[in-house]
Amino acid sequence: MNDLIVKTIVRWVIPFIQLFGVYVVFYGHVSFGGGFSGGALIGASLILYAITFGLKASKKMVPHKRSQWMESLGILWYIALGLVGIYTSAYFLGNKAAGFYMGEAGQLLSAGIIPLLTIGIGVKVASTMITLFQKLVEENEDV
Amino acid sequence: MISTQFPVYLVIIPLAIAVILPLLKQHRRLIQSIVSLTVGLMFFLALFNWFELHSFGAYAYNFGGYAANLGIQFYIDELTSLLVLFILFLSFIIISYSFADIPHELEPHQFGLYYSLILLLLFSMLGMVYTNDLFNMYVFMEILSITSTAIISIKHRKANFLASFRYLMLSSIGSITILFGLAFLYMVTGHLNMFEVHKVIQSVWTTYPMNLLLASGFILTGLGIKSAMFPLHVWLPDAHASAPSPSSAFLSALVVKVYIFAMYKILFRVLGTMMVKGLGIDQAILIFAALGMVFGSIFAIGQRDIKRMLAYSSVAQIGYIFLGLGLMSEQGLAASLFHIFSHGLMKTALFLSAGSIIFATGKRKLSDLDGIGYRMPVTMIVFSIAAFGMIGIPGVSGFMSKIYLGLALIEGQHPIYLALILLSSFLNAVYYLPIIIAAFLKEDPENRHAMKMDPLPKRMWIPMVVLAICLIVIGFYPQLIMDIIEASLPAYLVG
Repeated sequence: MNDLIVKTIVRWVIPFIQLFGVYVVFYGHVSFGGGFSGGALIGASLILYAITFGLKASKKMVPHKRSQWMESLGILWYIALGLVGIYTSAYFLGNKAAGFYMGEAGQLLSAGIIPLLTIGIGVKVASTMITLFQKLVEENEDV
Repeated sequence: MISTQFPVYLVIIPLAIAVILPLLKQHRRLIQSIVSLTVGLMFFLALFNWFELHSFGAYAYNFGGYAANLGIQFYIDELTSLLVLFILFLSFIIISYSFADIPHELEPHQFGLYYSLILLLLFSMLGMVYTNDLFNMYVFMEILSITSTAIISIKHRKANFLASFRYLMLSSIGSITILFGLAFLYMVTGHLNMFEVHKVIQSVWTTYPMNLLLASGFILTGLGIKSAMFPLHVWLPDAHASAPSPSSAFLSALVVKVYIFAMYKILFRVLGTMMVKGLGIDQAILIFAALGMVFGSIFAIGQRDIKRMLAYSSVAQIGYIFLGLGLMSEQGLAASLFHIFSHGLMKTALFLSAGSIIFATGKRKLSDLDGIGYRMPVTMIVFSIAAFGMIGIPGVSGFMSKIYLGLALIEGQHPIYLALILLSSFLNAVYYLPIIIAAFLKEDPENRHAMKMDPLPKRMWIPMVVLAICLIVIGFYPQLIMDIIEASLPAYLVG
């Protein structure tokens, strides 16, 4: 899309969307949202970028290799956190018993394992959304 | 107990390896060794877990240590771990066959991705078998149906896209139906843990019969779509026929069985024998099973493509499994479980040998198979053994499962269904025997009776021979499996 107004506005809006996405991910355990919704917001901002500036620019910003690594690392991070629970408390995904810092309810640093998990989910969802979008556009261009 | 954590490892190892595979260099050797090591390791973990269960008994595993009514629970009893062992054994065989077949069927860059999908398939199947939580079962079911769609559509051909799209649509309808039914159950009981739901249902099912009938109707219809119960089987022939042969073997021998196992769980663990019989659900299952047994075979007679014929034969065999299930007795359940194992082995052997025929000659039409027994003796002998099992000729495991099923039917006072089993066996003979006769007795137009060894790599014929040996061993010594099933059933039904 080659339109100055759209490009300028998107350039202004994207940082705010991403900031809000990061906020939703980090505050998932104390307010609404969480890994999926925050990740979807970040992914949507990347898709917005791809729509306005084209596939080439989007691939320069998020190369396929990088999003692939992010996707896998999101899952592996989740599994690794779960395994910590097995070695310290005898239960997969153990939280309080596994010795994670519980903090005070309502604070940012609280709820032990949950904010750590949401970060992994957020990374996974955001990278999956942009990968899917890029793949769909590519398939369309091949035909 | 050392192996308490093993079920969790069994679920997370394939997931972790599945996401690591695409990151590695796409060397065929590297991927092959990683995948076979992973599945081998999982098999030994499952074996160890199974041995320990004998001395320690069944146990529940609560994720995160939360109470059963709050968190997600795995329940590991001997039957579950026997099924897991079977899934891993068959997967190992199919995967070692597929290393030779898949490069032939797919493009080189898809090789690693295919095994990622297979490992995700294993992940979701094992999760579904282990889980004791209704919603968690639904989640694994969704992963399983999306992954199976992907392993059908991975071949870039129009037939595959059509078949997988059809499967995706129907199985999404199935998933939504199941979710709806689960919501009804939750409405009545207020729990998602299967044991907790069961406790509540036992006391309230006479108060809310309509609500529970609706719930079980929705759930069983959904699971019926996914496990190809007769009138809902329309997606199966296309999907199983167009997928690469190892995928067909996976789908037909394992994936469908996992859904049936989920149905066991729903009927015996969640609803309970008393309620199922009280509301007449078992009668409905029996009727659909009998229809499937007969009509699946009739449809199979009309097929010209070998893999389509095998797919329709699956519909008939699934009818047998449902027949055992519909009896709602311990013997019926044992017979139907035995048939899960023996049909898994037979169908894998059939699909793998059909795959080898396609691999070596490129022929799929039944009319082109004249004299193929001289060019591919090992393949056709394996095919014949498995086909004899399907017909129910003594000495192969299929015969024993029919005997057990027949005994259970007589015990349950349903002699009419016994006649239908005989009819279905006869129909099986009508479509399996001509292939065997054509393969060994007719003349091959291209080369005249020169007996040769199969033009197949070792990786392909050794797994098939192993399967054929298993079939004959179980045919002569069915107690090997039946004793284990009967020993572990009481613990399963107590639940």
